[in-house]
Amino acid sequence: MREGLSLVGVLVTLSLGFGLLSDAFLTSASLATIANQLPTALTLAVAMTLVLVAGGIDLSVGSVLAVSQGVLGVAMTQLGWNWPAAIAAGLTTGLLAGLVNGAIVVRWALPSFIVTLGMMEAARGGAYLVTGSRTQYIGTDIEWLADLSWLGLSAPFLAAVALVILAEVVLTRTVLGRQAIAIGTNEEAVRLAGVDTRRVKLTIFALSGLLAAVAGVMQVARLASADPNAGTGFELSAIAAAVIGGTRLMGGKGSAVNSSLGVVIMGVLATGLSQIGVQDPTKRLVTGGVIVLAVIADVYRQRWTAARRHQDLT
Amino acid sequence: MQSRWTRSRYVFLPALAALGLFSLGCTSSEPSSDDADPPVVSNDRPVVALVMKSLANEFFLTMEDGARAHQQTNPDRYELIAEGIKDELDVARQIDLMEQMVARGADVLVLAPADSQALVSAAARAVEAGVTVVNIDNRLDEDALAERGLDIPFVGPDNRGGARQAGEVLAGTLNPGDEVAIIEGAPGAYNALQRRLGFEDAMQAAGMAVVAAQSGYWEMDRANGVAAALLLAHPELTALLCANDSMALGAAAAVRAAGRSEDVAIVGFDNISAVQELVRNGSVLATVDQHADQIAVNGIEHALAILDGGETPADLQTEVTLIMADTMP
Repeated sequence: MREGLSLVGVLVTLSLGFGLLSDAFLTSASLATIANQLPTALTLAVAMTLVLVAGGIDLSVGSVLAVSQGVLGVAMTQLGWNWPAAIAAGLTTGLLAGLVNGAIVVRWALPSFIVTLGMMEAARGGAYLVTGSRTQYIGTDIEWLADLSWLGLSAPFLAAVALVILAEVVLTRTVLGRQAIAIGTNEEAVRLAGVDTRRVKLTIFALSGLLAAVAGVMQVARLASADPNAGTGFELSAIAAAVIGGTRLMGGKGSAVNSSLGVVIMGVLATGLSQIGVQDPTKRLVTGGVIVLAVIADVYRQRWTAARRHQDLT
Repeated sequence: MQSRWTRSRYVFLPALAALGLFSLGCTSSEPSSDDADPPVVSNDRPVVALVMKSLANEFFLTMEDGARAHQQTNPDRYELIAEGIKDELDVARQIDLMEQMVARGADVLVLAPADSQALVSAAARAVEAGVTVVNIDNRLDEDALAERGLDIPFVGPDNRGGARQAGEVLAGTLNPGDEVAIIEGAPGAYNALQRRLGFEDAMQAAGMAVVAAQSGYWEMDRANGVAAALLLAHPELTALLCANDSMALGAAAAVRAAGRSEDVAIVGFDNISAVQELVRNGSVLATVDQHADQIAVNGIEHALAILDGGETPADLQTEVTLIMADTMP
């Protein structure tokens, strides 16, 4: 909770800073534009948080996003499917990729890093094969999804916010979530306590694949096209956002809400820096610095909390 | 345990067999170069190696298809090996490919370099090995070539001229002094620079104000973000000139999301299939077709002419065509 508040503090400071430096930044149009570009990144950060909390990692989310949207795009443009069927096909693709990841990780007790690295390559190849390496332009049949809006906020953004809240509830209030956190802390102890850890891990990877596909659908709705090159490097942005949000890379600790604040901070930084006229190389320099600073700050915050707890006890 | 071994053997044996066939295929092309050295073999076809950038990119896929179709209609004239790299920035892999091609006994190397500087030394080594090298698509750095005393002909489209044509059409729909912005390709790429210069030529000639030029790294999603930010920062913007069609698609989505489709015109470059519907319905005013299927073919023809004549002909500029709604089939 306290962690979330400090992230909100960072966010407000950044926003006010950019607001002072640029007249265009703190306008409702500007803020809505930033928000409507975030749903894909938010959904991927949720997926990554779930996997990281359980002590795993999913490097394939960007490629799974691409193959899912490739299936969606080809279904609509070449096979003439209607949008519900095409979206269902895209989501199924993501779910299957996630299940394959999870099944391999638990069946052979392999590190998820290497399994999902393999899936990252395989799914990217699948995306090129499905689309024939061609961007599929879908147009109005899909972009109406991004046009639905409430107070200037698009339906995909609102859906992403709902997913963040849902994931937070799953992590903090359900058996699955608690078991995932416990597995991330000490898998062997959880297994000895009689929990089927393999089922939990399979579920988490399947969810991650499904969420990557959802993120793909959101991106297609925004861009009205399915691009086989989409999502390159998104897995690293999702990891960065989760880490800024205080998720521990070794597992056992993480919050979907805080990871999503990490996404928003990165989004505000990107748009704010470009609005005050900072060039791209400098933007990357600053973004990289922020990621590392966030991790260092997290170390101090933990020490401080531990020290206070110690004081309270004595 | 045993059953698992038998099962995996079914996978491995065909894979091994395929590998074996593959290496046979590799060695079988080598004798042809040994045969090519003595002047008596007139009926032996020269081996043309086409080394491209990313085959994940529609443009290079079209280029490869064009070259294969050309080889099939001219089977007696040459043998074709076409290879591409994983993504457009994998320079080291492309250098490896060049060396492999020389080792496999290629007589001609047609190269679309991923980097204008980094591929110069690999090209030089191929020339030293007696291979005829022709540069296509993206021009090798002229200073670096001159430094090594190399004369490698360049066959490629006029990127700057194509971009200028698209810009001129756009200028015809605007008024002098209107604000426009450019979304560039990856920084440092030769064609990105040429297209930017072409757009600027046209805008300056028509008296437009170029208020910003930012890179979208050739990508749709990044260009979408750049375009959205530009639209916010410049409420008077009348046009976005994009250095490729993927970025034009991203920009079109941003313009529509901002509700400014009526006020902001878009031009692109490449004429990929996905952009054609947008050109038809007017969301994208114009794009430029550089006939990807012909670029490699022109390079191959040029190289074969050099082999026959034994001389180094000059550079060759290939045709570009402006594509607009009324010129579309």
